[in-house]
Amino acid sequence: MKRHPFLLVAATVVVTLATVHTMGCGASRSLRSLAAEKVYVAPGELDKYYAFLSGGQSGSVFVVGVPSGRLIREIPVFEPRAAYGYAMNDNDPRRQELVATGGVWGDTHHPVLSETDGMPDGKYLWINDLANGRLARIRLDYFEADRILKLPNMQGAHGIAVVSPNTKYIVVNGEFELPTDGLVTNPAAYTSVVSFVDPDAMQVKFQVRVNGNIDIADTSKDGRYSFSTVYNLEQGRDMGSMIQYDRDAVAAIDIPAAEKAVAAGRGEMRNGVPILDPEQNPGVLTLIPVPKNPHGINVTPDGRYAIAAGKLSPTVTIIDAHTLKIVAEPEVGLGPLHTTFDDRGNAFTSLFLDSQVVKWNIDKAVKGAPDYIVDRINVHYNIGHLQAVGGDHMHPAGDYLIALNKLSKDMYVPVGPDLPENQEIIDISGEKMKMLASFPTPPEPHDATFMAVSVLKPLVHQTYTPVDDAVQAGKERVVRTGPHAVAVDMTLIRSAYTPDSFQVREGDQVTLKITNVETIRDMIHGFALPDHNLNIALAPGYTKTMTFDAGKPGVYWYYCTNFCSALHLEMRGRMLVQPKEGTVTLTDWHAAENVKGQVVPGVPSTGGGK
Amino acid sequence: MRARVMYIAAAAFAAAALVVPLWGFSMSAPQYPDETLHLQVERNGIVGDVHEIETLQHYVGVHFPTEIPELKWATRAIVASVGLLALGALVGSGAAAHVYRVLCAAALVTFLLASAGAVQARLYQVGHDRDPHAPLRGMRDFTPPLVGPARVGNFTVWSFPHAGAMMLLAAAALSVAGSRKARA
Repeated sequence: MKRHPFLLVAATVVVTLATVHTMGCGASRSLRSLAAEKVYVAPGELDKYYAFLSGGQSGSVFVVGVPSGRLIREIPVFEPRAAYGYAMNDNDPRRQELVATGGVWGDTHHPVLSETDGMPDGKYLWINDLANGRLARIRLDYFEADRILKLPNMQGAHGIAVVSPNTKYIVVNGEFELPTDGLVTNPAAYTSVVSFVDPDAMQVKFQVRVNGNIDIADTSKDGRYSFSTVYNLEQGRDMGSMIQYDRDAVAAIDIPAAEKAVAAGRGEMRNGVPILDPEQNPGVLTLIPVPKNPHGINVTPDGRYAIAAGKLSPTVTIIDAHTLKIVAEPEVGLGPLHTTFDDRGNAFTSLFLDSQVVKWNIDKAVKGAPDYIVDRINVHYNIGHLQAVGGDHMHPAGDYLIALNKLSKDMYVPVGPDLPENQEIIDISGEKMKMLASFPTPPEPHDATFMAVSVLKPLVHQTYTPVDDAVQAGKERVVRTGPHAVAVDMTLIRSAYTPDSFQVREGDQVTLKITNVETIRDMIHGFALPDHNLNIALAPGYTKTMTFDAGKPGVYWYYCTNFCSALHLEMRGRMLVQPKEGTVTLTDWHAAENVKGQVVPGVPSTGGGK
Repeated sequence: MRARVMYIAAAAFAAAALVVPLWGFSMSAPQYPDETLHLQVERNGIVGDVHEIETLQHYVGVHFPTEIPELKWATRAIVASVGLLALGALVGSGAAAHVYRVLCAAALVTFLLASAGAVQARLYQVGHDRDPHAPLRGMRDFTPPLVGPARVGNFTVWSFPHAGAMMLLAAAALSVAGSRKARA
């Protein structure tokens, strides 16, 4: 009898705990399915947005579908990629540009889109190579890099921005200070420049000298100012000496004033580019003091404010983008790095140290209202950039935000010491932010920008129009063009190379021009030549030329590396290399050819055997 | 009067058939989403996605008829029909004219039936006269219907009368209608 009350209590506790547990699970399950529904794009359905993520030290651009988070394409830019046949051989114009401008790797940080009326028009995407001071342009009709520019007079091309609203220039910040001439060891004499690049000609039109390290860039929406955060006004050369001052600056460059000064010949020409010295050209540069070592700078979609993130200070500095006066400096959290926007007057700032995104109301913060913080959400972990759809343009969508985190820690199954990067998709359509999904990528996206699929999709080509000197079917040839030179014009179509064999001599330079004469989309063929360091890919209609040494005497089977058809494995041919000396002729290779239409002994009459 | 109008219209329809495609084929397969392949048989030969279809054919050993002498004959027959129909509008309304129009209509209907037969014969040939050394095994001979779908490998092939055939059909119908004896 005495045990009964105890049993009753114990049973009640167990039942209660079980109920709570079940309910908890139910709630979390339904939250999960709600989030899953928001990012689920069924097979065959298309995403709503293209997200372009910089590839960081992969030197490329990742194209990700939003909301699904599916990695759709990598656009190689500063690094050759055999799989795409990009910059793989010495004749390739992009490879030549890469080699001539600093190397076949890069560190891409900030993708920016060409704009018309403050909105992306789908023409170009630019991306910087911080390491080698370069700027690349990607054609969005073909999703391929079409120009690579070495920026003179600067090292470390970091922040870049499009001059709104109609892409007048691409602004590129030179992060690392340099001596103006020769080898100077005292860093006090070093200086940096902000470059203004003509988007069509891909030429630097002028540069403005700024002391310190020029970091992130944005522009006012009316084309008047470029804004760059600047740290290390101390001009120190090590970390300790870079954080002495209490305040560094946002450098606002008056673009029309700078253009005027350049037109008046007030630039000092260096490496063919006029450089404006702000001291001799008052009105061109305004330094707006902000807490030391700031990082991000982002202009609100309506163009009213430029918001500098404190990084070491828990604040953001709100600057009037017309008067250049500081209007507020609200606290948002630890380690604010970048800010993006929705369509309802809210800002979202990444907090590196707090590993959070903080949502705050711009008007309330400007007015000093105490309740300007709207919401916070944890991200995983140590967020760098963040970007809401359209937050970098004049009409944000206010639906999704991507958090680009620096560390992933326990977010994915362990894959050794080099962990993947972690991006998170957050629903920002409501008052509270909602975590929807995460997706990993190779190293290391820094920043992202978006384009609506409805705008870009109609502009994208899926086959190439053959160039004038493309090889035409029926016009293939193998010609000796010199004592040590052979030209081969080749075509590809399912499932054969024409010619399917050719003969050269040891010591020959072979110039191979190949056209993929397919006309339907996605019928890509490869050309891989063993032991010659050659593998290229050709999309339908594309022509590539490559020159290579014939190599050692022997038989080399070239074959298709891009699965194309039921006879893909059979799609191959031979390069026959004769010895240089002597009269040895390889066995009559013509006779071995063309077994088509003949019954080949030993080949079973049924079954493909694939 | 009524017969004359019908014969003028019939001649016009027959003439129009000379400048538009006569017969059409479409081919669709799962790996060609939103890009169904089309062929049109015109007076001068076959046009459309010829390149792509020729590329595909070698897998199944189907011969693409590049020389089609029937088309020359068909062109001549259409030109002749235009002449005969136009004449049918001019011959007046007597008993002899009526006989002429009946013969004219009969000739046109015969031509159309013969053409249908020729197309069907070609379709049979395409499905049966195949390269025995074609790479893809397990393909059975096939006969696409004159009008309608047929399954060929992973493709669904549709055969259908194009604008030209419809015009000729209209011309034939008008000539038949115009050859009926006018009510007294």
